[in-house]
Amino acid sequence: MAASNPGTSPASDSADREIVATRLFDAPRELVFEAWTNLKHIPHWWGPKGFATTVHEMDVRPGGVWRLTMRGPDGRDYKNRIVFIEVAKPERLVYKHQPEPGSEPVSFQTTVTFVECGGKTEVTVRMLFPSAQARDHVVKTYGAIDGLHVGLGVRSPHGSSWRS
Amino acid sequence: MIATPLQAPDRLSPTFAALADPTRRAILARLSAGERSVTELAEPFEMSLPAVSKHLKVLERAGLIARGRDAQWRPCRLTGGPLKDVADWVEGYRRFWAESFDRLDDYLREMQKQTKKVRKKEKTNGRQQSGN
Repeated sequence: MAASNPGTSPASDSADREIVATRLFDAPRELVFEAWTNLKHIPHWWGPKGFATTVHEMDVRPGGVWRLTMRGPDGRDYKNRIVFIEVAKPERLVYKHQPEPGSEPVSFQTTVTFVECGGKTEVTVRMLFPSAQARDHVVKTYGAIDGLHVGLGVRSPHGSSWRS
Repeated sequence: MIATPLQAPDRLSPTFAALADPTRRAILARLSAGERSVTELAEPFEMSLPAVSKHLKVLERAGLIARGRDAQWRPCRLTGGPLKDVADWVEGYRRFWAESFDRLDDYLREMQKQTKKVRKKEKTNGRQQSGN
């Protein structure tokens, strides 16, 4: 994977350590970015079905903190503490999940890009895995990533062509 | 049913650490064919038995392998539980984004409908005002 053009862009350098999810939305880029960066919009869409998300704070600027709690269908709370690293409105967001007591112990980085495609917006979420080897082993053992690419790589304007 | 999104159990860290080494991954691959002794596992590698034993200890601590109790012949075998945890964790993210994207798609359409309604209302109001 990403064997050609070694060392060109940061994205291709880390391509073998990522989980990538892409979707084309039938909405202007400014609006999609707004839905992603305004705390009043987040609870309307963040998280899988059955999860209720509460945003405690969302300071969208480098170094700014974003804290949210996701309540699962079983009533369990999942606390998240995220720190923004890069904010380039309306093109790109880079943030890092940071462990805090009672939250996820794994620290990892996410890059979200918003690309205009003829009035629509393609959103790509890249999550950096702890190591390429770890990810590849999981892929080889369980084929987990294949499902992700097939499932989320579908470029449907209404997102209805694939469901888990 | 759903894997805990954005929530990884603590025990994943030793699993990732154990999997980061190519020799340890090769050992796991060999064990997927069945039980092996330390000597058998050391054969394909240009490594001393103590060096292989060191790798086995890391894999054992991570819960990826188990070893027999017989002091003379302690066969190693795969346990697989932690690997399943890692796979579940990845599956959790896959579902997280698939379903969040579905919801975002609906919400963006709702947002655009609201914007159109507001614009229409503003237009109507504007016309009424100019008519007065």
